[in-house]
Amino acid sequence: MDFYYGLAQTVGIHTLLGLSAYIVLLTGQVTLAQAAFFAIGAYAAGMLTVLAGWHIVPALGASAMFGAATACAVGFPALRVKGLMLVVATLAFGEGVRLFFFNFDYQVAKGEIKVGPLGGEGFRQIRYFQEHGWSTGEVMLFVWVFVVLAMAALWWLDRSRYGAVLRAVGEDELAAQSVGVNLTAVKVSAMTVGGAVAGIGGGLYAHYTTHIEHANFNVLLATFAIAYPIVGGLKNVFGTLAAVIFVQAFLIEGLRFLGDWRNLLFGALIVAAMNLRPQGFLGGRRA
Amino acid sequence: MLDFLQAVSDGLLFGATYALIGIGFTLVFGVMHKLNLAYAAASVGAAYAGLLILQLAAGAPPWVVFLCAFLGGGVLGWLVYVTCFHFIPLSNPLAPLMATVGMLLLIDEIIVHLTAGMPQNYPAMFDDVMLRAGEFTLRGDLLLVAGVSVVCMIALLALLYRTRLGLATRAVSQQAVAAQLCGIRVGQVNAMTFIVTGLLGGIAGALIGASVGALSPLLTAPLTVKGLIVTVIGGLGSIPGAIVAGLLVGALENVFQQFRGVTERDLYVMLLLFAFLIFRPSGLFKQ
Amino acid sequence: MGAGVLELKGLSRHFGGIKAVDGLDLTVRQGEIVGLIGPNGSGKSTTVNVIAGLFPVTSGEVRFNNESLEGLPTHKRLQRGIARTFQNIRLFGQLSVWQNLWVAQNAPEDHARRGFIARWLGGQSGVRAEIAQLLEFSGLAHKQDELAANLAFGEQRRLELARALAAKPKLLLLDEPAAGMNSEEIGQLRDRILKLRAQGITILLIEHVMELVMGVTDRIAVLNFGQKIAEGRPAEIQADPLVRKAYLGGA
Repeated sequence: MDFYYGLAQTVGIHTLLGLSAYIVLLTGQVTLAQAAFFAIGAYAAGMLTVLAGWHIVPALGASAMFGAATACAVGFPALRVKGLMLVVATLAFGEGVRLFFFNFDYQVAKGEIKVGPLGGEGFRQIRYFQEHGWSTGEVMLFVWVFVVLAMAALWWLDRSRYGAVLRAVGEDELAAQSVGVNLTAVKVSAMTVGGAVAGIGGGLYAHYTTHIEHANFNVLLATFAIAYPIVGGLKNVFGTLAAVIFVQAFLIEGLRFLGDWRNLLFGALIVAAMNLRPQGFLGGRRA
Repeated sequence: MLDFLQAVSDGLLFGATYALIGIGFTLVFGVMHKLNLAYAAASVGAAYAGLLILQLAAGAPPWVVFLCAFLGGGVLGWLVYVTCFHFIPLSNPLAPLMATVGMLLLIDEIIVHLTAGMPQNYPAMFDDVMLRAGEFTLRGDLLLVAGVSVVCMIALLALLYRTRLGLATRAVSQQAVAAQLCGIRVGQVNAMTFIVTGLLGGIAGALIGASVGALSPLLTAPLTVKGLIVTVIGGLGSIPGAIVAGLLVGALENVFQQFRGVTERDLYVMLLLFAFLIFRPSGLFKQ
Repeated sequence: MGAGVLELKGLSRHFGGIKAVDGLDLTVRQGEIVGLIGPNGSGKSTTVNVIAGLFPVTSGEVRFNNESLEGLPTHKRLQRGIARTFQNIRLFGQLSVWQNLWVAQNAPEDHARRGFIARWLGGQSGVRAEIAQLLEFSGLAHKQDELAANLAFGEQRRLELARALAAKPKLLLLDEPAAGMNSEEIGQLRDRILKLRAQGITILLIEHVMELVMGVTDRIAVLNFGQKIAEGRPAEIQADPLVRKAYLGGA
């Protein structure tokens, strides 16, 4: 049973990552920076529970805030970069954040051992759940509370005028401007919300794996983040969830019997999916 | 001072390969207004393909390996075109991009599979040759790398500006619909663009392998990032830009490494990119 | 009729060496319907784009309600009361008719009346009545949930106009609204434009279709090569030999 709980946790955390890209993709900005906000959330939450003894929930709140703040800061210069250049810029930003954590040391002595992030070694012993006696099932439920909250919040945003405005900006910026939409406010706010969601996802990730390091937050994770909403379709949040379940559960676990060939399949499946259904599983039409 | 000059000159020579990779990205962008994220992976893949010839003819001289990499690159380039750009409607902004990500992952995994993840030695030419001027040395193999790169760039420019195919390519990059109406087979031009850039990429991959002495699948991600950085700094769509930027990044990267070590080097290259994005987002040369 | 709502003073917009608009003086007064005509390439659309804020002026001034619009971005001009339609129709194709109008409700009085939460995060119910009115006016009520991309051409044009009205503009810039319309549709458009004037909206109409221009405008200005060559009532313009020459060419 623990195995399935673990799988559900992974699906949940990756869904948060995918959702963080979903809202930004709606505005037409292709972002490879979500893994960076995820990383910031991970290190922030880890440091707060391990080094400062915080309770997990406010630590996750801080993750959300750090993720949001960084995303907001990135959102403004991102406006100056058009189209595919934004892909490169966000990719570079993501790599920059990863390199930052590669060089980041902050250790504190706890009793006899030192804990905290140690550059390339990473950040070990993030054992909040273990130290407080959480069972795997309880952790899974905890993760999913946040997933459900995030999905509900984004679903609601999607149905509101803000959601329609996001999609209008994604479709035709010129027309949107001409009907009075403030492009800066819309694009930066979407990026900020995405950063918050990614931050929470990262914070949960850190505690679920108990050991994080810079290599976890690489270009591959960044591409996973946008792959989920693109393969799932931008119609609504369930597309992203479906894609995460498809990739994580079906591909990685379900095809475990294929052994090493699974990874080959992942790339091939993405290529096939884009050729067969370029608009994603659920399609792009607004729900 | 001498150290600095040495670092610059070595970097410039190596940077010629970055220029080739940058040209590949920028040419596809210029003609199709799309990003082929699989390009660096295909280049590395082609370099590996070059090694295959050693399986068949164990004592083959290095230039045969390079030739196979060159041809392999063309084949891979065409393959990427067919899987990512031929069937997927090009009006869809995200699907072709995601498909190239899929190809990137697929090519990487195939390499890992076929080589069991072990780095492979790569033949070099003139690696024992050193031209000296006092303390200052020019490595023979690096000179070859630069020389071959220059020949390729000249050949490409000749192709673009002296042949009908080149004329058709430039027409399609400026006005695809009008070009079609003039009877140009846009699909063919696009396919040829991928084949030509693939050939360039194959040679670039082989040259990188030759100058480093070994090939490893770990090369793909940093090469992709660097290639994109070169493309953006040079100006998306500008070949002279990619050339200058490639040399610039190669030189600066080596200088950073000389004075600040390998771990900080990549961070500085990233900062260079950000400086351009903030102060000169259109790059060195506009398209 | 009243003070000048829109004033173009010596307006010039150059693109490199090309003088798309050159020293244009034009005043549109409150409640007027002014036509802007001229052969292709005479600078009509550029004029609209400059007034809407898409291009900065090269020299000269655009004044609205006696205030200069210099430096004001497009979305702020909309909030001041200037709305425009596009020659090539730029609807949000993947959104429904209803949503196209919803996105465009950015008038300052709407913003003042409803709180931030209601305005941005609210659902559809709060604005049903207003949008219903717009749909009624444009004859699109029966298609409100249809994707804009799936509408017939005439319906798309009506939606384009309705969307410009959603922000309760005081000045409406219509960029060739009648292109591709048949006589019946032109008649309906004419009626709609007159109804808008009756509601107090000032209109600048860029158009090629003479049937519409002559039938609905109070005054017409004629552009050729970026310069105004004639201005006057429809009947005067029709008789003007300079205008004839501009359209038909000649040394």
